[in-house]
Parts: sequence; structure tokens; C-alpha cells
Amino acid sequence: MSDRTDAKGSLWGLLAEYETVPSVLDAATRVREAGYTHFDVHTPIPIHGLDEAMGIKVSRLPWLAFGGGAAGATAGLLLQWWTNAVDYPFIISAKPYFGLPAAIPVTFELTVLLAAIGAFAGMLVANGLPQFHHPLFRVERFRRASSDRFFISVEARDPKFDAASTRALLEASGGAPVVEVEG
Amino acid sequence: MSAVPLPLDNTLEAPGTRAPLVLGTSDLASITEQVCEIAERPRPSREWLLAFGISASVTAVLFAMVGYLVWHGIGVWGVNQPVAWGFAIINFVFWVGIGHAGTLISAILFLFRQKWRTSINRFAEAMTIFAVICAGLFPAIHVGRPWFEYWLAPLPNQMQMWPNFRSPLLWDVFAVSTYFTVSLMFWYMGMVPDLATLRDRATSKIRQIAYGIASLGWRGSGRHWHRYERAYLLLAALATPLVLSVHSVVSFDFAVSQLPGWHATIFPPYFVAGAIFSGFAMVLTLLLPVRRIFKLESLITPRHLDNMAKIILATGSMVGYSYIIEFFVAWYSGNPYEGFTFLNRALGPYAWSYWIMFTCNAIIPQLLWFKRFRQSPWLLLVISIFVNIGMWFERFVIVVTSLSRDFLPSSWGYYMPTWVDALTFLGSFGLFFTLFLLFLRYLPIVAMAEVKSVIPAAGLELGPHHGHGQYWGEIPHQHDEQEGR
Amino acid sequence: MNARVRLAAGVTHSNAGGSRVGRRYWRSLEELADSPAFRTMVEQEFPGLAEELEAPATAATRRSFLKVMAASLALAGLTSCRWPKERIMPFAYRPEGYVPGVPQIFATALELGGAALGVLVKSVDGRPIKVEGNPLHPASLGAASPWAQAAVLELYDPERSTTLVRREGGQRRVPTWDDFVAFAAEQATALRQRGGRGFAVLAEATSSPTVAMLRHALLGMLPAARWVEYEPVSRDAERAGLAQVYGTSLRALLHLDQARVIVAMDSDVLYGHPEALRHAREWGAARRGDGGAMPRLYAAEALLSLTGSASDHRLALPAGRIGALLLQLAAEAARAGVLLPAGLGTVSPFTAGTPEADFAVRAAGDLAQVRERGLVVVGPGQPAEVHAVAAALNEALGSRGTTVTYTIAPDPERRPHLEAVAELSASLADGTTEALWILGGNPAWDAPAELEFAQRLAACPQTVHLSLYENETSRLCRWHLPRAHALESWGDARAWDGTLSVVQPLIEPLYGGRSPAEVLAALVGEPALSAYDLTRRTFASQWGGGEDAWRRALSDGIVANTAYATVTPRLLGDAAGEAGGRLAVRPASGRELILYPDAKVFDGRFANSGWLQELPDPITTLTWDNAATLAPEDAQELRVKHGEVVRITHGGRSVEAPACVVPGQARGVVGLALGYGREAGGSVAAGAGVDAYPVRTAATAYLASGVEVQRTGRRRLLATTQEHHVIDTLGMAERGRRVGSLIREASLNEFQRHPEFAKNATWSQARPLWQEIELKGEHQWAMAIDLSACIGCGACTIACQAENNIPVVGRKQVARGREMHWIRVDRYFAGDPSDPQVRFQPMPCQHCENAPCESVCPVAATVHSEEGLNQMVYNRCVGTRYCSNNCPYKVRRFNFFNNFTKVAATTRMAFNPEVTVRGRGVMEKCTFCIQRIEAGKTAAKNERRPLRDGEIVPACAQTCPTRAIVFGDLKDPSSEVSRLHRHPRSYGILEEIDTKPRTLYLAKLTNPHGAAGEGEASS
Repeated sequence: MSDRTDAKGSLWGLLAEYETVPSVLDAATRVREAGYTHFDVHTPIPIHGLDEAMGIKVSRLPWLAFGGGAAGATAGLLLQWWTNAVDYPFIISAKPYFGLPAAIPVTFELTVLLAAIGAFAGMLVANGLPQFHHPLFRVERFRRASSDRFFISVEARDPKFDAASTRALLEASGGAPVVEVEG
Repeated sequence: MSAVPLPLDNTLEAPGTRAPLVLGTSDLASITEQVCEIAERPRPSREWLLAFGISASVTAVLFAMVGYLVWHGIGVWGVNQPVAWGFAIINFVFWVGIGHAGTLISAILFLFRQKWRTSINRFAEAMTIFAVICAGLFPAIHVGRPWFEYWLAPLPNQMQMWPNFRSPLLWDVFAVSTYFTVSLMFWYMGMVPDLATLRDRATSKIRQIAYGIASLGWRGSGRHWHRYERAYLLLAALATPLVLSVHSVVSFDFAVSQLPGWHATIFPPYFVAGAIFSGFAMVLTLLLPVRRIFKLESLITPRHLDNMAKIILATGSMVGYSYIIEFFVAWYSGNPYEGFTFLNRALGPYAWSYWIMFTCNAIIPQLLWFKRFRQSPWLLLVISIFVNIGMWFERFVIVVTSLSRDFLPSSWGYYMPTWVDALTFLGSFGLFFTLFLLFLRYLPIVAMAEVKSVIPAAGLELGPHHGHGQYWGEIPHQHDEQEGR
Repeated sequence: MNARVRLAAGVTHSNAGGSRVGRRYWRSLEELADSPAFRTMVEQEFPGLAEELEAPATAATRRSFLKVMAASLALAGLTSCRWPKERIMPFAYRPEGYVPGVPQIFATALELGGAALGVLVKSVDGRPIKVEGNPLHPASLGAASPWAQAAVLELYDPERSTTLVRREGGQRRVPTWDDFVAFAAEQATALRQRGGRGFAVLAEATSSPTVAMLRHALLGMLPAARWVEYEPVSRDAERAGLAQVYGTSLRALLHLDQARVIVAMDSDVLYGHPEALRHAREWGAARRGDGGAMPRLYAAEALLSLTGSASDHRLALPAGRIGALLLQLAAEAARAGVLLPAGLGTVSPFTAGTPEADFAVRAAGDLAQVRERGLVVVGPGQPAEVHAVAAALNEALGSRGTTVTYTIAPDPERRPHLEAVAELSASLADGTTEALWILGGNPAWDAPAELEFAQRLAACPQTVHLSLYENETSRLCRWHLPRAHALESWGDARAWDGTLSVVQPLIEPLYGGRSPAEVLAALVGEPALSAYDLTRRTFASQWGGGEDAWRRALSDGIVANTAYATVTPRLLGDAAGEAGGRLAVRPASGRELILYPDAKVFDGRFANSGWLQELPDPITTLTWDNAATLAPEDAQELRVKHGEVVRITHGGRSVEAPACVVPGQARGVVGLALGYGREAGGSVAAGAGVDAYPVRTAATAYLASGVEVQRTGRRRLLATTQEHHVIDTLGMAERGRRVGSLIREASLNEFQRHPEFAKNATWSQARPLWQEIELKGEHQWAMAIDLSACIGCGACTIACQAENNIPVVGRKQVARGREMHWIRVDRYFAGDPSDPQVRFQPMPCQHCENAPCESVCPVAATVHSEEGLNQMVYNRCVGTRYCSNNCPYKVRRFNFFNNFTKVAATTRMAFNPEVTVRGRGVMEKCTFCIQRIEAGKTAAKNERRPLRDGEIVPACAQTCPTRAIVFGDLKDPSSEVSRLHRHPRSYGILEEIDTKPRTLYLAKLTNPHGAAGEGEASS
């Protein structure tokens, strides 16, 4: 409670701290049920049930990966066919200029490569990472979010946000302390 | 930190109860503490400095040898006609093989929900990356004109022609580079939350900035975690066939040729088994000392060792089986050249290498049937080192004995490595350990976030369990109750 | 010509006798071009020109000079001869018939041991780059020996002596030729006063009529002078033997094409004979079994020779027992009804049932069958008596006139080499000879050991040595004169059968050397006469040759109908019997040491040739070394390992050499090749092998009996191109199993019963896995190699090396297994190890249609052409060496280092400009001489005609003495190669792995006794 940051700049939101997984899950559920949308939970480990608790919709990342894979496969096949059979054909051991069996390994590798890149990059983009600055990083206590503490942050831009009532909600849900975060 | 009461046997398979994967009184904070303090020591330990000094100078030898080679030509090696491939390719396959354990542990064990992997996967993945770096070095320097290597890439060039996609070597280029890229992503992605931890614990500005950048601004957001898990699962799903494909493709370098002893359909599975075999052996070889030095016994428990030993036993037996079946196939095919090649391996001028291989790979690991050998770190260390030696010789046997005596007796020859060959091989270990020591010094060597989520203290007993995304499997409640309180 | 010489003189340091050469220029042109117009122009031009030549070339003088040159060249262009002067300066006008960059072929001759070999030399822009056989020449018939082919490398050897050397009181001065001419003149006067007493000339054997004329002039001028001829390797025994039975010195000419049964007694007629190339051609032609007949060859020999390898029956027998075997043969022949001269055919040294006796029975039986179609031939190492008896036997068979003919030996009164040099040495010792001029040769090194020739030579007050190299002998002589190489100088020489060839230079002497004739001329007081003048004079005086004859001689390379006349000598009554008697009492003696001329460096004169040093010995595949060859049994008995150094002692003299175990060598025999271990042989020869001459006395010039062999325990790594390491029993057994399918063979009448015996002799049939691309080229190149004809001489390897700029890698690299030869000759031992048969198989790139090397190359550096060539693209190659691994024939060669950095600038002149010089890190291999293919296609296109079969000939096929290698177009069904590919004997090796080789082999045919039905030969 000594963590009240002095009032410079606008208020970004509130940050409540929790000791255990159950408490934070419970709190998250309450915040969601209270109708908040711009809130988040910060945990050192992925927690199960949190998606439901926060009402997160299932990510469409797999489609991105699939797209990457499809692109890779097509690119792989086209590359080999065009380079070896169309653009510069040469006779190799009397073999066909383009033979599917010989083309499989490269096609496969490119498929995997682009799919993986799709998944990884997609994740970063969707999460808005890298994002080297974030108001929460100003909060000293928040450092434990990556170690052994659980937090719920509610952003001021949330239509239902109200400094007092939101704080009350968080404290009621067992969040202690609840601090204001400057934007 | 608090001394850990050990040894404590968590390898017993008590029906009903799930053995603890982390021993001692570990809670979230203590795990953070235990792992981070390794990377946060103000100055490296004397042992580390010594080890680093040695490996760095051995690396210097490597670069000296490479320079010497590029200056004078491939002739400084022992390769000749007919044995046109020697140490370089042997070392390449050797290192690539080692590079398989990491992604295998991360990906396949992950899909199989082997949560014991969490304590070792970071470590194994790091090993993978470094091994693949060493592996990649050799094909790069073994060609006659390294400065034209880029011709292997399908780049538009002044000759207006393209590489030959019918060549297994080209497949190799794609396989290994893909494998390296994906493994790197996988490793790095898994490390992001832990890097954030280091960032948040950072005391000095430099560390804060460095780890800050490396962790991409990770803040443990629930929404991030959600997509993160999705991506991780996808990568695992993609990496799994990739692991299997890479060594298959490497084996194509041999299997697709017509050379007796290379031209074999069992190569892909046989190579993959061998790769996992050697990979796990190398993980053990590295893990055992590290575990001891950094007092990670509570995270890397006897159970982990036990499981890895079992995998080594299994894959080792597969490899041994392949050795025997190769002979059968050679005889059963009725192909006189194949037949001779294998007789020649076992009885010819290179018989010594064959029997070293056979003993180290097919016989010694069989000791792991006995629990005592799986229990004692020392015995495990010895066995794993034998396996490493054996697997190097396996590649030696495959490459050299087959080439030295192929079809026309008139062109039979004998291959003798030169001092340059030997020092280059040694040097590659220098590079490997240098990278590895840097990893130990500056990065989270255990996947904290993942370990934390499998310890009872995480108190994950709540919430319904979901299939996908829930990668650590369930923890029986009653059991967690006892442990949790 | 002086223009060339002057400028050449400008470039080379020596500026000796410019004016002299000036004169020579005009003389030769007069003779060349008798057009008055030109003469007048010349006359008026001459003085000015001469000055201009002395003066530094300013633009003006240069222009007028070029005018003359152009005029002379215009004439030169008309001739088929060697006058174009392009190599010195750019043309003002291009002479007719000369296109820069287009190779020109000149006919000349190379002499070895007094017998000329006619050759055609390819010259590109004035640089002779390749020596090939002259089809018109009786001793060549288009083939060239490795020695002849290596002449180019010798010509450009930077270590040839480049200056005259004068040694006085430990001082070494470098005089000019003028100094020497002056010295010679004063010598001549001094000698004339004492009628030439104390003066001797020691010459190597030469057939040059010009030298002979000068020699007569010299002896006429100095009656008391002595002319000595010495060759370390000579055929005097044969000459002496024939003299014993015929009373006169004769020279034998063999006609293998006439023979149906040949018995070779320690004789390598197919390689170690001045006419070996002709013999090989006749042999190769006769052994294809096409007419359903082929000659049968019996060989009895101590060391495994190419003739022995080619034989149908071979008996390994110590050389000292050959005489006894011959007597046995005579006895059996007599028993078979051959009427022998008195005193022969009475003794049978070998008891019936022994292999020797059986051999004699069979051979004699066959000889008796075929009578005048039989031939008994004895090797030069055997004593005169053996030759005598053999000659008598041939006479008795009636073979004289069919399989063997005789001519009067040239220079019949000549003392035998060994005796002559011994007398000379003695006279040096007692001071009766105080002035010795040595023309060629290296007696200080290769004279019989007991003569201590070197010391005596050193003691001689006045010595002159003319030599290509400043060698062991030069170092001991007061004067050393650089000799002009045969390709640098005018001269003449006669073939073994007497056919005359004019030796014409291909290039100005690189180091200002002169020929023996020129040196002699200086002595007999005609210093002004150039080699050209002398040769021309001889030609005119002896053959009355005018301009036309001369030009024909130059363009043909031979002068027709100049062979020695065949004589029909009569056998002296009982001479043969007496000879036989002397043989009979010759006892069998202990362990033998046989000192034989090396297959590569001969008597040592070729020791500084990298090509020859690296050419594998046909039998041992040994390179860069000679070795003490031992039979396996002897090696076991002596507990000597392959490569272990042994000390061989005879009569207090000993030599140490590494042992080399050779199956098929006679027991109780040690073989050691001459010609290695040169002290002053040059940097290439240095360290190669051991010097055998120290144990070689006049008495043991070929054979020393009762030698000691002790182990030293030391080892030397022998660089062989096969069995790089000692091969284990497992490998040995497997090799034995495989030979049968690699080298397929049958006896003649097996072949007649099953003509297709060579087909489908593999363990499985391959089926293609995919729709194969068919090749659309307008030609489909292919090769066929007849194993029945191949005798394994290795001429193809050298020809390929010369044609394709193949690097020499040196002893260490060969030992590592990195030799670069594009075509190698595989040697296999087959059958019973104690009495093995030797089989040869030339192995170039097979140009597989399904080439395994191609599909594995990641950068497509080796691809297939539409004409069926497996092409290696050097500048695309990154050097993964995967292709080599995947080549089942292991014919690909990798440049492990840059093999050309150490090649001297002069040696680089030998490069073939048509062929890329490969750099470090790239793969290379046989191209079927694609440069020749393209040249041929271009020529045909320019003349708007289709290619003729046989028009395009790769280097290996071109030089093959037996014509075993045939190249051509499969698209043309009538081509020779198509015919051979359809031949029942044709097969592809390793066809079971579906490589579809474009090089097919024709299975080997043999004609053993019995297999062809008892007694009747060749059916």
C-alpha cells in the first residue's frame, strides 16, 4: 500500500496482486462477470481455466501456420519444377527433369519451415510483441509477475472502469495490494 | 539456497500415485531463485572460467585448422580416391545426430505429455542448437571451393543456372537449415518467459536492457499465454516430423547412392534411432556434471535420469538390431557386393572400428537393463560417453569402410586421417562447449515457467482439464494434496 | 630462319654466333625456295637486313624486316614442312595454309638405343605439345611408346642444361659456343699432328647416317683415334649369338603376324624390344580370333613381363635356366620330328613330368605342328649361346623367311658395347687415352661397376661431354656442352629395320643446344655447317635426294624403300651344336639377381620425367620407385614383408632396395629395375628409387647368380596405384571372385561353341525405375576396348596425360591414393596364386547413360550431353566429391591441391591449349577427348560433309599399339564402334547396377594348348 505511485501523468489502470492460482482465477472470473473487457491477468506460468475465466476466444493461430505450410509446399514444388524442368533443364542420369519422389524432401522441409515461421511470427504479432515499454513495467511489485505472483490489471479505458468501484471489486476479490498504474 | 535432501528415489512406479517430478520443498519463488541465481552470479566460478578458457582455446584451434585448410586445399586432410569423404562428413553426421535429442525432448515428449521433460528440455534444446552449428560447419568446409558454396542455394546467378534438386546433398541443405531455424525458434520461444524473469530480477542496467530486449517485453499476460501455448503446441507438432525427417534426409546422402553399404532402405529409421540414441547420450554426458555443479538435483531428479537411460536403452537396442539386420539383408539380397561390404566391415582392415562401434552401441547400453546402472550418475556418465564414442565410430564405419572397398578391386584403397583431420574434429568440441558454457552462464538453463507449472505448489488443482493446450497432463488430486500442503 | 634465331637469341640469354645463323638463314631459304625473284629480293635485302638484325629493332627496320619475313613465310606456307616463323613475331601477312591456333602436324623421328621411332608432333603456334606415332613409319604404325610421348616434357624440362660449362682446377666457367668451336679447332690441329693417338670418342648408339659420315671423316682425319659406342642396355648378345651360327653380325626382324606358335624365352617382344610397337600391333590384330584362328604364345621367363602376361602358357623359370629349357625344347622338337643340326636336341636337362618338361613338350609339339609358322625368340639378356640355339631351332623349323628375317647388322665390325667400354676404361687407366669426347650417354653413372669409369674419367686430362642434362658424367668432364633435343635440331635416324627418317626441329633450341653432328663437325673442321646443312648433305650424298625427295621425306617422316636388305644367311655346320654344348654345361646356380631396364625410365635417361615416374609399372603398379621384386614364396622364406628394405649382395657389391612381392615371378629370383637413384638426375628424379648400377658389372649386366638377400628391418612406403596397402586375405579372396565378371574371358574354342559367353555374366539384371530420357544428339559417342588385344603397356595413360594437361602429383600423393590419371590400366591376377594369369583392363570414364555421378551433384557440375557424353563442368564444380563416391568405376579424379603452382614456365609450354588447366578443389575425369570431338565436328561442318568414322580419335585410342581402343558414333550403324558394340564378345562391366556404360569391353580370348584340342594350334 506504499506502492501508490504519485500522480504524474494520466491513470492507465489498476493492478491487483494475488498469492495463488485459485485466487487469481476466481478474481479473473469475477472481473469478467462484472463486465470488464479491457482487463488482463499476469502470471508467471500459464494457467488452465484462465481462458474460460477471462473469456478468451480460441486463437486462430493454427490457420496462420496452415497458411504458411501451404505456401511452403507450393513454393517448394514450383521452385523445383520451374528451375529444373522449365528454366534450365539438364540431363541428369537419364532421370526425368522433374520427378515427384525426388522433390518431396525439399517440399516437406519448406512446408515445415514456413508453417513454423507462421506460427511463431503470428504469435508475436497477435500478442503485439515485441513491446519493450508497457505502463505495468513501472510498477516495482509487478516484477514478481514473472516469478511467483499473480496479477490482474484493469485498464482505465475500459468503459466500465471507475477508479473507486474497480478497486473495490479487485480488493473484494482478494487482490492485495491494488495499485494505480500511471500511463 | 536451501540444501536439498537427496538422494530421494522418485523412480519407483507406485500404482495410483504419480511420482513427484521435482523434489524437495520447491515453490515458485524457490525455483526462480534456484535457476536464476546461476545466471546472476556476479562473477563466474573458477571452474567455469577454467572450462571456458580451455574450450575457447580449442575453438581457436578449430579456426586455425579451417584457415589452414582453406589456404592449402582439401589435400591437407586424409581423404583420397576412393575414400573421398572422411572426417568432415563423419563429424557432420555425428553432430547432427546429437542435435536430435533437444527438439525430440521438447517436441515429441511434449506431445506425449511427458512432463518430466520440463526440467531438461531447455538444456537439451540448447545442446541441439550448438550441435547443429558444429554440424553445419563441416559440410561448409569440406567442399573443394568453399567460396562457391552459395551455388547450392537456388539463387539467380551469373551462370543463369540452378542447383540440381535431384541431389540428396541439396535436400540436406534444406533439411539441416530448416531444422536449425525451427529448433532455434522453438528454443527461443520457450525461453521468452524465463528471460522476462531474468529481466525482472535484473539489478544492473545492462542486464536489464539485454534481457529486456531478449524477452520482447513479455509480461505474462493471460491473453499472451493463450496464444503462446497455441504457438508452442504448433511448433511442437511441426518439429516432431521435422526431427524424424532431418536424419532421414541425412541418411539419404548415403541411401540414395549406389555404393554397397550405403545403398540401403533401412537407413532412415536406423539413422533416426541412432540420432536419438546419441542425442540422449550427449544430453546425459552434459547434464550429469551440470546437475552436480549447479546443485540442480532437485529439478533434474533420478527419475529424469532413469527415463533418459530407458530411452537410451530402447534406441540403443534398435541400433543394435539394425546392425544385425544389415547383415541379414546383405546376405538375403543375394547382392555379392553388399555381402562383401559387410563381411569386410566385420573382418576387413577396418574391423577394429566396426567392433568398437558394435561394443559401444549395441553391447554396453544393455547394462541399462539393470536399475543400478540407471541410478548411478557415475555409471550413467561412463555409459553415455561410450555411446558417444560408439556413435562417432558408427559414422566412421559407414562412410569409410564402404568407400574404401567398393566395386572394382583395382580401386580399393585405405583412408588415414591426418593431424589436421584430428585437430579439426577436436576443435568442433571446443566450439560446442564454448557455446554451451556461455549458455550456462547467461541464460536460464531450466525452463522455469514450465517446471513451475508441474510442481504442486503451483496449485493447479483447480479448473477443468482440457485436451489440447493442457500440456502438462493431470496431476492426481489426492497426491497433490499431500505434496501441496 | 635467322630472324627467328636472332629474336630467340634476344629472348634467351645466349647470343652465340648471330652472324653465323644469319648465313644459315639464307642458305636454307635458297634451298627451300628456288624462285629467282625471291633470291634477288633476298640478295638486295640481305645486307640491310643483317644490319637491322644487329641493330635494336626500331619501327622502321622492323617493318622492312617483316616484309622479308612475310615473303619467306608466303613461300613456307606452300610447303608441308616446318618453316612458318610465326612463333617469333606477329605477321604482317598471314602465310597461306597457316591459321593461328590451329595445330600443325610435323613428322620427325626419335631415337632410343640406336633405333628410330617415327613420330608426328603436334605443334600449336610454334610450341610442340604432343608426340604421336607416325602411321607411315614401320616401327610405329601410328603408335608411340611412353618414352616417345614423354619427349615433349623432356624438351621443356627447365632442368636441362642451359649453358656450356668449362671446368678447370675446380673452377666452373660458362664459355660460349664460339669458345668451344675455337677449342675444337685447336684440338683438331693438335690431334692431326699425332694422327689422333690418345683420342677417343664415346658415343651412345645412334643410327644417324650423318653421324656415321662424320665419324668416317673423323677417323679418316685421325686414323689412330678410337670410336667407342656404349649403351648400358644393348642387344649385343643376340647379335653375337647370330654371329655364332651364321658367321656374320645379323639383326633379326620378327613377324608375329606370320606366327601361329610363338615361344618367348625370357623375351618381352611386346614391350622390351626396339620394334615392340610393331610386334604389339601384329599381336593385337592376330589375337581377336575373328578368323577363328589366333597365334598361341608360350612364355618362359623369370620376371613377369607384358609378353608373359599376354601368353597362353607361362612358365616361371630363373633366367639362368632358360638355356636348359631351350635345350629341352630342342630335344622335344627333335622327338616331334623336327630335323635339328648336329649336336642339338640330344640333352634333356629336365626330367619328364616337371613343369619345365611339360612346357617343353607342349611348345615343341605345337612348333612341330606349325613348322615355319612357329617362332622361338630369346630375350636380349640371355647369353649368345641361347640366341644361337634359338636361331638354329628357327632355322630347323623353317621359320626364317616367314616369322623371322635377318638383315646385316649396321656397323658389323662394332665391338660389343660392354667390351668396348671396358677397353676404353682400361686405356683411360693406362693413359693411352688422354682426350675423350663423350657424345650423349651417361657412362660415369651407368658403365659397369668394376670399371670404375667415373674415377678414370675424372683423371682424364681432356674430356668433353655433350648431354641434354648436366648429369653425373658432365660433372666429371672438363667441358660440358648442352645438347639440342631431338625436337630442337636437324638430324636423321634409321629404324630397326633400316628405314630412314629425317629428324626435323619443331622449335629453336630453347637453351642454345647443339646436336652431336654439329659437335663432330666442329672437330672435323666444318664448324660452319649447321645440323641442317649436315643432314641435308648426307641426304643428298647417300640417297641422292633432291628438293622433292627431301620435302617428301619431311612430310612423310620416312624415306621409302630405305630398309636394310633382307639376307639369307647359311647356318654354319656345327656351330649351333657347339653353342648348345656350351649351354649344357652351364650349371644351375643360386639365387639370381636380374637387372632389367625399367618400363618407364628405361636405363635412367628418362628419370627426370614426371609423366614417366608417375606412370604405374604395368605389373607392380609401382610409381616413383624401383623395388626388389620377389616371388611370394621367396618373400615368405626370407621373412621379408612388402616394402621392407633388403640388402642384395653379389661379389662384394651390394645395393639396398625395398622388397616388392610379385606373384608369378620365378622362385629364387630377385628383380631390380635399372635407371633409378640418380644422383644428378634433376629434381624430379631425386629420391626416386635406388641405383642398381653399383652391383652391375660387365659379367652381371643382366643376370647375377648366387646373390645374398638380407633383411635390414627398415621399411619404405611404396607408392603403388593398386593395393595402396598390403591387401588382406579376405580382400584377396573377394578380388579373385570378382575378376571373372569384370574381365570375362574364354578360350578360343569355348568362344566358338558359345559366342555369347560374355553376355549376362552378372548376378542380376537391372530394370530401370523410371522413364529414361532418350538422348537426341546427332552423334552418340561410345568406346569399345578389346581385352584380347590389350597388353597393358600404359601408353594410353601417358597419351591421355599429355593430351589433357593431367598434373603430376608426386610420390607422396600417389601413396595417399591421389594419382590423377584419367585412364588407368587395372591389373588383376587370376587363377592359381603360385602360377597366376595377369589380366589388364584399361579403365577410362565409362560415360554411363545412367551416370550415378550426375544425380548426386548438388550444383549440376556434371551433366549429360545430348551426344551421350558425361560432362564435367570444372568452373561449376564446388568440390563435394560426392560424384566420386558414387562412381562405381572410381574414375573420377579430384584436385586435392593446386597441382600446377610448381610447374615451371617452360614446362607450361607443353600444355594443350585446347584443354582447361584445372584448379584446386574441382573434380575432373576422362572427357572422351571432347576437344578432339569438337575439332572433328567443326572440320566436317566447314567442309559441309558428314563425319567419317575413325575421323575422331581420342588420345588413348590414337596411341594404342594394339588398337585395342576404338571410339566412334553409335548413331552410325556401320561405324567400327557400333560393330564392336554389337559384337558377341562385348559387355559392359557392372551392367547389373544399370549404369548403362557407353564404354563396352570385348571379352578376352585365350588360346591355351589342349583347350583347342591336343596338338593342333590356333584352331
